[in-house]
Amino acid sequence: MTFADLKTDYKGSKAPLFRLALVTGIRTVLTAGFYRFWMKTRMRRYYWSAIRPGGMPLEYAGRATEKLLGFLTAVVFLAFYIGIVNLILMFFSFSLFEGNTPAYALSLLGITPLIFFAQYRARRYVLARTRWRGIRFGLEPGVAGFVWRSLLHWGLTVVTLGLWWPVKTFWLEKYRTDRTFYGDHRMHQGGSWRMLIRPMLNLYLSVALMVGAGVAIGVAEDPRFAALIVLGFGWFLYGLGAWKAGTFKALTETKTLGEAGLRTQPRTGRIIGIYAGGWGAMVGLFILGMIVSGIVLAIIGAITGFAFDTLGEEVDISTLGSIPPIIPIVTGIILYFGVFIMWNVLKETFITLPLAHHFAEVTEIVNPAALNAVRQRSRDEFAEAEGFADALPLGDAF
Amino acid sequence: MSGEGAQPVYADFVDGTDAVTHRVSLQLSRTHLHITLPEGETLYWALEDLRALPDQAYADGLVLSDGHAGTARLVIDNPHVARELRGLAPNLSRSAPVGNWGRIFGWAGGALTSVAVIIFVLVPIMADQLATYLPPEGERALGDATFEQIRGALGREAAPVRLCEAPAGRAALDAMMARLDPSADLPYDVRLAVLDHDLVNAFALPGGRVILFRGLIEEAESADEVASILAHEVGHVVNRDPTRDALRSAGSIGVLGLLFGDFAGGTVVLLLANQLINAKYSQAAEAAADDYAHDLMREAEVDPGALGRIFARLLDEYGDAEGIMAHFASHPQMVDRIEAAQAAAEGGVYDRPVITDAEWQDLREICGPRAAQDSDSPGAQDESEGRLGGRN
Repeated sequence: MTFADLKTDYKGSKAPLFRLALVTGIRTVLTAGFYRFWMKTRMRRYYWSAIRPGGMPLEYAGRATEKLLGFLTAVVFLAFYIGIVNLILMFFSFSLFEGNTPAYALSLLGITPLIFFAQYRARRYVLARTRWRGIRFGLEPGVAGFVWRSLLHWGLTVVTLGLWWPVKTFWLEKYRTDRTFYGDHRMHQGGSWRMLIRPMLNLYLSVALMVGAGVAIGVAEDPRFAALIVLGFGWFLYGLGAWKAGTFKALTETKTLGEAGLRTQPRTGRIIGIYAGGWGAMVGLFILGMIVSGIVLAIIGAITGFAFDTLGEEVDISTLGSIPPIIPIVTGIILYFGVFIMWNVLKETFITLPLAHHFAEVTEIVNPAALNAVRQRSRDEFAEAEGFADALPLGDAF
Repeated sequence: MSGEGAQPVYADFVDGTDAVTHRVSLQLSRTHLHITLPEGETLYWALEDLRALPDQAYADGLVLSDGHAGTARLVIDNPHVARELRGLAPNLSRSAPVGNWGRIFGWAGGALTSVAVIIFVLVPIMADQLATYLPPEGERALGDATFEQIRGALGREAAPVRLCEAPAGRAALDAMMARLDPSADLPYDVRLAVLDHDLVNAFALPGGRVILFRGLIEEAESADEVASILAHEVGHVVNRDPTRDALRSAGSIGVLGLLFGDFAGGTVVLLLANQLINAKYSQAAEAAADDYAHDLMREAEVDPGALGRIFARLLDEYGDAEGIMAHFASHPQMVDRIEAAQAAAEGGVYDRPVITDAEWQDLREICGPRAAQDSDSPGAQDESEGRLGGRN
């Protein structure tokens, strides 16, 4: 038995993930979205297995068919809610306010509790299907408490123009962590919301600078203050990276499982580098792709033009119009979906994977010997899986 | 790792009951993998029951389980051992059987039924009911919002499409409306607008807004034909079709969004699907609007056959062409609609056009003299750029 801390290995790499994301993305589009449950399952298996605390990979044991089933269950309930409620809202919006903005706003508001509901249920499902050292994680039922807390904290965040953000982040994380189990052991989120103030400082100050500069432009009518806005924006971007690293460190190092804890050293510079490099790679590859397809089109154009020329006098513009309309339509559809697939694939490859890599390799388990007392927990069947999260556009990666 | 006395091979093992990892030694027999725990106990996993976890990031290794049920895992990081086992275990990549297809198909049926009931029954019924309760001001607001969207969408760059308002042309249009005189049937006044655009089309929007495009007026060979289209659109207003449509799509777009989720570019699939649903409804609505137009024109002693004539010509000209008229012309009941208009005209004597010839000339120049010059070549070339999903 050793008391050394358990370091985390990371085994994921860009090329295989790129292949997996591309293949599953294409299948998803070819099946009009049906394959997305398999895509999600396979991507998660990859991401989970890449993270190896103490050399032992995480396992994602979720199945595509249970996601499909959960999605179908959610559709039965949600279709009614969304169809009928939207219609009624639209009706009242136009009869009372003579505009559709209130309807959209109300509809969004009406769906908000559902989104928090779906988030908690999805977390429960994902944890129930995550294993490490053969032991299941789990999340205690408690969705009602999460929904009202989320509504309250998000409401306060909006009202305070974002000042409440660290408090919200801490309490919602604590609510979920305190209900998280590893085997038969309950996790605990220690610390307080105050420790998230420091990571937030850069964001507060940079926004203050930008607002101040904006006011100064208005008052002094001196456009030179615009330079301060540019400066503030750069500072803000740095602040986002610092917030991500700072909150991850603060929240992770105060999580405990019995006697075991975590230590982590995420680096702001690395996180900013990943985003900058990732976006750079994505945009660069897209521009390259456009240049290449432009050249290919030009070559095709030249060849067909040449063919027309050799036909001699029969060439007139109307024959060009007689190309079956299906060809440009199909080309358009392929291009459209192709762009979407490639964007997602590149995002997974150049942003999600490097971020997971960084957070994994800087994190280690303190006093891992305490984990030996953990016993298995029974399986959480949870037939609904993450159906609600699937059906609602949450736009989440995991 | 097979022979006696060979170098022992090690792997990590968890038994699925506690979080203790065991460094185990592995040996092979003809049929089994022998897993010997440090305490001396040996587990025997049949080679044919070995399963490997799929989609693992460390592809040179193996994470094994004994069948699909258990939570015990054997993690083999040594690529040589992993490769050897891949050759020996025949069913490594066999995936776990799906035992709940019955339930999946059951819920799939349930989900489809509930979506179908909501989209095709509940939402239309509610939209029909609610449309009649919507106060006229609300309908007008709905129509105005849509009107501005359409003008913006058809305009070039930032400028919305110009309204055609030559006073003489306006007067001719008003005279046409006065002759048709639908006011007895209307929940609110019709507000007519002519847009300076090549589209051969006309729309009715919620709240009594009716839009004619310059292209349609140029395409018409007589004032009666324009009047017939106008009467058709008034029919939509009387039946409150545009309002129903708007409410219905508010309900069904959200539901369709659920089904397709937000996978890559799902929005397009969603809009297409909604288009199909609306197209299905519009057939009944179109027929009702035609019937209304026939009656209105007969009462105003204007030839209802004009509707058939302009339809027939459009069918001829754009029969299998692209553009805005395509879905109009390729309607399966287009021929029926032409015949219905002819039947409605039978037995009547219509010797007085809906407006005078002079007024008809004014109407043709409602967008300015340029329109009159162009009238020989109906502007169908531009159509494909402004495809709209409204009511025609």
